[in-house]
Amino acid sequence: MSTVGAFCVTLDKDQCINARMPGKCATCVEICPYGVYGLNEENEVVVQNYNACVGCRLCAEFCPENAIRINPAESELVSRFPWTLGTIEEIHHKALTGSYGLRGFGTMGPTPHFDTIVVVPSQLASPSPRDKYREECNMEVVIGEDTCEKPIRLLYPFIFPAMSYGALSREAKLALAIAAAKTGILTNTGEGGVVEEEPYYANGYEKPSRKKKRWEPGGYLAIQWSTGRWGVSADYVDAGDAVEVKIGQGAKPGMGGHLLGDKVTEDIARIRGIPVGSDALSPCRYYDVTEPGDIKKQVGFLRDISNYEKPILMKLGPSRPYDDVKAAALAGVDAISIDGLVGGTGCSPEVVTQGVGIPTIALIGPAVRALKDLGLHRKVKLFALGGMRNGLDAYKAMAMGADGVGFGSAAEIAMGCRGCMACHQGNCPYGITSQNPKMRERLDPEEIGQRLANFINASAEEVKILTMLSGHSDIKELSEEDLRALDVDTAAITGLKLVGYERPLPWWENGRGG
Amino acid sequence: MAHAASVLDAKGKDLRAASTELKSLLAKEPVVVKNASHLHGLCGGLKRGEITIDGDGGDYLGVVNSGALIKVTGNAGKYVADNMTSGKVIVEGDADYGAGQYCYGGEVVVKGNAGDFTATMNKGATIVIGGDVGDETATYMVGGDVVIVGDAGENLGNYLIRGNVYIGGDWVSLGHNCAVSEVGADDVQRLESLLKQHGATVNAKKFRKIAPLSDKPFYSH
Repeated sequence: MSTVGAFCVTLDKDQCINARMPGKCATCVEICPYGVYGLNEENEVVVQNYNACVGCRLCAEFCPENAIRINPAESELVSRFPWTLGTIEEIHHKALTGSYGLRGFGTMGPTPHFDTIVVVPSQLASPSPRDKYREECNMEVVIGEDTCEKPIRLLYPFIFPAMSYGALSREAKLALAIAAAKTGILTNTGEGGVVEEEPYYANGYEKPSRKKKRWEPGGYLAIQWSTGRWGVSADYVDAGDAVEVKIGQGAKPGMGGHLLGDKVTEDIARIRGIPVGSDALSPCRYYDVTEPGDIKKQVGFLRDISNYEKPILMKLGPSRPYDDVKAAALAGVDAISIDGLVGGTGCSPEVVTQGVGIPTIALIGPAVRALKDLGLHRKVKLFALGGMRNGLDAYKAMAMGADGVGFGSAAEIAMGCRGCMACHQGNCPYGITSQNPKMRERLDPEEIGQRLANFINASAEEVKILTMLSGHSDIKELSEEDLRALDVDTAAITGLKLVGYERPLPWWENGRGG
Repeated sequence: MAHAASVLDAKGKDLRAASTELKSLLAKEPVVVKNASHLHGLCGGLKRGEITIDGDGGDYLGVVNSGALIKVTGNAGKYVADNMTSGKVIVEGDADYGAGQYCYGGEVVVKGNAGDFTATMNKGATIVIGGDVGDETATYMVGGDVVIVGDAGENLGNYLIRGNVYIGGDWVSLGHNCAVSEVGADDVQRLESLLKQHGATVNAKKFRKIAPLSDKPFYSH
């Protein structure tokens, strides 16, 4: 599972400026945070440690002469299965150090996902398609309409899920806030406290005085109430437009957040109330929830502290979706996010990220049934998270019954991430998951905020195209009838009609599983 | 109480009704709340004011307190003063499970005994227990001080990262990443003033101190 040795780094000496004029260019040496390149005694650039390459490809992008090639050592990785190069390196690492592997970003390798589901368009025998170019499509999602004095009105059915300050840089957090403001969606503090500018940036204001909006239409910020309770105070609960109670996350359900000491700078230590350089390992459960009724009491006092104005959200990991969602809804929240196996992380034990939890497509059906059984479907809003890549994934999740989706890893990629899976080391060369000032200065919140907003706008357009070609003018009209499973496995997992067969598989016909 | 106080009878009221009334009364003068043991999370997030809970309190009393003085004349429920950042909570009787968890600052005083997981994840508050505490006291504490006049149960100071635990009695077992450490003159002086302030007539010199071993007990390089 390790990425060690997974990439071949080659330097074309005919192209390299440094090879022709030693000392003239060392961009790759300068830019690589992993020490892949070095200078020899003659001041020539050499590939000194190709094993350290994580495949982020920043060096290749910045090389002025296009002299660098980064190729995955794929044949090696695949041919010796199950003893791939990654597995061999993983065993060597344990044998040498006695400790298990940690990883950032998320799950590697194939898991059941949305790709084996297709959208059914409208033709003659169904409501006519709507005209994407000349007709309207409502994509608004309202959270807490009947329960809160200040409900949240998302312009698009999207949220940025919780990613903490600590896991992410200050600049990345602000870019997310700016993007939420520019697109009218919801961003989330994550569990690492709030960055000072985040609340007013998310609402569209550049200054705390909140006089004139800089970024229209203005979005929302959820503050997260979590098991480590990092940086939580009455002012913190007051700072956002919603409060999210975190129970778990897709990448490491059953465990709390991990922030390794390397990323705990003075500022992060100050906000979290921990010593500089110590690990912030959140408890796996709330120390202040010890019996079933306690979580409802917590939702109750969070409503009270926020003066009954703000929606209360809850985030669940992928475990037993029917029972978990039912329990969450009965605790009295306004929206539930359920995160799938491939959900992202800043740091997690590899075995947990890789092998623990249920894939996203298998969560949505039971979650929707739980809400329907309580008569709360579409009242308590459901957001599907974990591996959402575009408007197509979002459409499919919504047709399965979710009210919206979260873009976490996709948002990081929109910020520049190449998925090198080394977030936990804190050296992110794009400044997204690094606390190193040298990396952070590479990320301009405004520029990257615009990239994120572009991604959200484009994905919203995709949802609009698909909603309208399947004969709807409102995302709330989407249903399972708008989807088909391409193979028996997917039909079995989701209960969707199988293409060709045009019915759900037999065991779904009488009483749908839980 | 010496000075004037309004009285709020919470009997039959839900959290919203009681809390709204409490906040409006507090704007003028101290408030005495009666019959509040069914309310969980009362006095949440208050920034000022003086409240006396006459009788027993419910769970999560004074959660996220950030400046109020809260007194309980009877016993407190579970998780009293949860996640307090400043202010003071005084319990005349006993406190149930998890008193003073997740606190960043302020002071929690329990004159009687406290339950398991007291002061867990304390990050900076001073927590004084006049009697005994249960198991797992000060688990994953990151800062602040805990003073236990009586005895402690199992796993005292488990995975302590920062801060100190002072204990006058005995304990069943110590947790990981902590050890008995020397009590300095500064410690004795602080203890004496704290104990005196809370009317405990015990000799501060007899206390032992439990201190953390490492900032990084899990992932070292």
